[in-house]
Amino acid sequence: MIDVALVVNGAERSVSVASETTLLELLRDHLQLTGAKRGCDAGDCGACTVLVDGKPVNACLMLAVQARGRSVVSVEGLATQTALHPLQQAFHERGALQCGFCGPGMILSAKALLDENPQPSTAEIREALAGHLCRCTGYAKMIEAVRHAAEASKP
Amino acid sequence: MKPFECITARDAGHAIELLVRYGADARLLAGGTDLLVDIRNGSREPRVLVDLSRAPDLKRLELADDLLVIGAMVTHTEIMGSRLVRELCPALAVAAHSIGAIQTRNLGTIGGNLANAVPSMDLGPALLALDAQLTIAGPMGLRREPLTTVFTAPRTTTLSATELILDVTIPAEGFHKPMAFLKFGLRKGQALALVNVAAGFWPHGSEPVFRATRIALGAVAPTVIRSAEAERFLDQRVIDPESMTAAGEIAAGEATPISDFRASADYRRELIAVLTSRALESAWRRARAEPARKSA
Amino acid sequence: MNTRERHGASVFGNVLEADADMRLPALVPPPAFPIETLVPDVLKQTPAVGQRVPRSDTRLHALGQTRYIEDLTFPHMLHARIKRAGIAAARIKRIDTREAERMPGVVAVLTGGEIPVNSFGPSLQDQPVLAHERVFHRGDGVAAVAAISEQIAADALKRIQVEYEPLPAVFDPLDALAPDAPLVHPPHGNVYASRTLRKGDVERGFAAAYRIFEARYRTQMVEHVSIEPHAAIAEWDANGRLTIWSTLGRITLGRADLSRTLNLPLNRIRVIGSVVGGNFGGKNEITQEPVLALLSKKTGRPVKGVFTRTEEFTATTVRHPFIMDYKTGVSREGRILAREVRLTLDGGAYCSWTETTLGKACILSAGPYKIDNVHVEARAVYTNKTVSGAMRGFGAPQVCFAYESQMDDMARALRMDPLEIRLLNAFDEGSASPTGQVLQSVVVKETLRAAAERFGWNERST
Repeated sequence: MIDVALVVNGAERSVSVASETTLLELLRDHLQLTGAKRGCDAGDCGACTVLVDGKPVNACLMLAVQARGRSVVSVEGLATQTALHPLQQAFHERGALQCGFCGPGMILSAKALLDENPQPSTAEIREALAGHLCRCTGYAKMIEAVRHAAEASKP
Repeated sequence: MKPFECITARDAGHAIELLVRYGADARLLAGGTDLLVDIRNGSREPRVLVDLSRAPDLKRLELADDLLVIGAMVTHTEIMGSRLVRELCPALAVAAHSIGAIQTRNLGTIGGNLANAVPSMDLGPALLALDAQLTIAGPMGLRREPLTTVFTAPRTTTLSATELILDVTIPAEGFHKPMAFLKFGLRKGQALALVNVAAGFWPHGSEPVFRATRIALGAVAPTVIRSAEAERFLDQRVIDPESMTAAGEIAAGEATPISDFRASADYRRELIAVLTSRALESAWRRARAEPARKSA
Repeated sequence: MNTRERHGASVFGNVLEADADMRLPALVPPPAFPIETLVPDVLKQTPAVGQRVPRSDTRLHALGQTRYIEDLTFPHMLHARIKRAGIAAARIKRIDTREAERMPGVVAVLTGGEIPVNSFGPSLQDQPVLAHERVFHRGDGVAAVAAISEQIAADALKRIQVEYEPLPAVFDPLDALAPDAPLVHPPHGNVYASRTLRKGDVERGFAAAYRIFEARYRTQMVEHVSIEPHAAIAEWDANGRLTIWSTLGRITLGRADLSRTLNLPLNRIRVIGSVVGGNFGGKNEITQEPVLALLSKKTGRPVKGVFTRTEEFTATTVRHPFIMDYKTGVSREGRILAREVRLTLDGGAYCSWTETTLGKACILSAGPYKIDNVHVEARAVYTNKTVSGAMRGFGAPQVCFAYESQMDDMARALRMDPLEIRLLNAFDEGSASPTGQVLQSVVVKETLRAAAERFGWNERST
């Protein structure tokens, strides 16, 4: 067992886990943050995506021990008590979610994009979401939702 | 995953000590994008992982003594975004960009890509075309090896069990060299290469002619390869579309692609010929677009 | 008031009431339902029409708060994994689970012999819960383990020894039709379901045709790849009542299957269908539910099973590959006079939803075109491959590929615009389907024309 201390959604957390525990398992099984999903366990589907120090990564391919001292943001860290994050709002309102399983990962990748590039082009949005598989929506409404959230956040 | 111990190395030296201590039971953990998948599917069963993510001496990305030094733990995202790489050898940035998707590029490293040594590796052809060398660290110290001799068979390198890649160096002869990298996969993103090609040369003289041509191919032989025959063919030859097409055909003949469920060998050969020719054309366009630089 | 008088001459001229001798139902279409007269002020009656309404579940999805099966945990819950055969056809000579049972962390092991009624299926009950004496495809489950962690369960599978006697296997449905082909489910033949559809007289139609086109079209196996894998949790209470949480879509059918396979009265079974991460037809029947139920019964603890992505490909259903032979006779102008279709469905190792697929494919195989003479022969054939089942369209996408490909082929040969040949043949309001169903609200031609305009069909370069 090893101790892993890290920041999750702004809060300092400390867990004791087996060495082979992935960041995904740490979040889901040890911190009960089940928003990140296990779709393939191989880094192909993107459903496990979380942000580590602001960068999207496949949580199924990162060991918990490698996340020591890092700042992790999962989908649970986006909304406040009173409001959805603009991306969550846009995905919800614009028909960009159907079964919802790929949603948390998509939304986090979109957030990482907008954090760095507040007015992305359609090509840039596509690139940001390219590491995610969705079998329900056909992606078009997701791209629209990201564009809409970007528009809505214009100062 | 099956249980293993994971020890975070303080630096390269510490990592080597751990490799020596644990021997065949240990494996280096870089980005994990290949290793963890292998552990899950049972093709690798290490008892100890040596985590390199906190070793500062593996993260160099700088010019030193006329060499571009890229530490083994530099990620594909960092390579893509590096001003140095984009200025001096942009084809490498393009190659890094072609790998997987954002999430895997944020984790995957140049050292991991090289050490894993799959024939379809995307950084391989670009680095071969840039005459890259590896700085390899082991219990006896450092050694340098040109990339051309590192790969001996699929997933096999000349690194011993107690060695690691410290960094990749690109000599100044490759800086600003007109070069292109092309990859053909069954999808535009998250795709394995069916064929990948890096081709570059220095235009020389008033005609001008090909000089110092490098053509490197991936996914079409047991390892990434240079197309020596095609390179010799082009040397001193006038730069024109016909010579590029001919070089493509020769490169296709030098490769030994396999037929598998993704594509037939014939189709891959066709791809090699077309992509090689296109890569040469693309390099030539770049050469003409940029003001005259140091040429061979 | 007489219907005919009100609507004047019908599309069919002066055809009168259905004649008892006629093989098809009434050709006179029923009168169009006069919505306007009944609901004069549509917008006032239905203010919802035209409103944009977000789905009721997407707010939770966006928050990451939706609880899919894998997100659920119960106290003392165990994790189950199923050992897959890895061989396409074999007799199971021996299964030894003792080493697995002894492993620390393993709480129970299950094999096919312990299943009370080891067969299920929506039409033919030819699929075992766990393979007992025979294996019919590589993805067949042969044993299952419940352990305190998924990793231990997976490790335990490796310690289960199975001795197989390989049997000849067949992988291509056409090979399976050969007289000397190995029988997948002896003593039954390899054709396990068939359908015939006949309308008019195709021989007469072909005789009158200006030209006849024949071609074979094939479609491939497709896997649903719902991003959420198959998952379920089983738990019993002290009154002997089973509760199953599952990604299963058809929960009433699932309940009936559980009742049958566990030999349990329906009123002791509760199935809770979870919010699902994609189904597309792939979660239309039980997979591991009876296994989890029996492991839960053995251990007295809740048991959860989540398929790996590999299992999604090997041990769940796929879309039927089709081999389609089309013979179509057309007039000089390109009007289809007769169409003869032979469909061979690669029916995989078990029947699953094949009968529904067969029926739909048959009816739809002629395409949305007015054809007086149609003959379809369709059959499903066993092969020792992944089970072909339900997937979005149930046979429609496959035949669509065939008949639309042939339309293009015919247009090219007759030097006709591919759009024109379709407009010439497409259904109209009141057209009859190949089974004689009179069709209403038909807008095929209007849609084609609107699409052609929207896509700039007439401005295209080639």
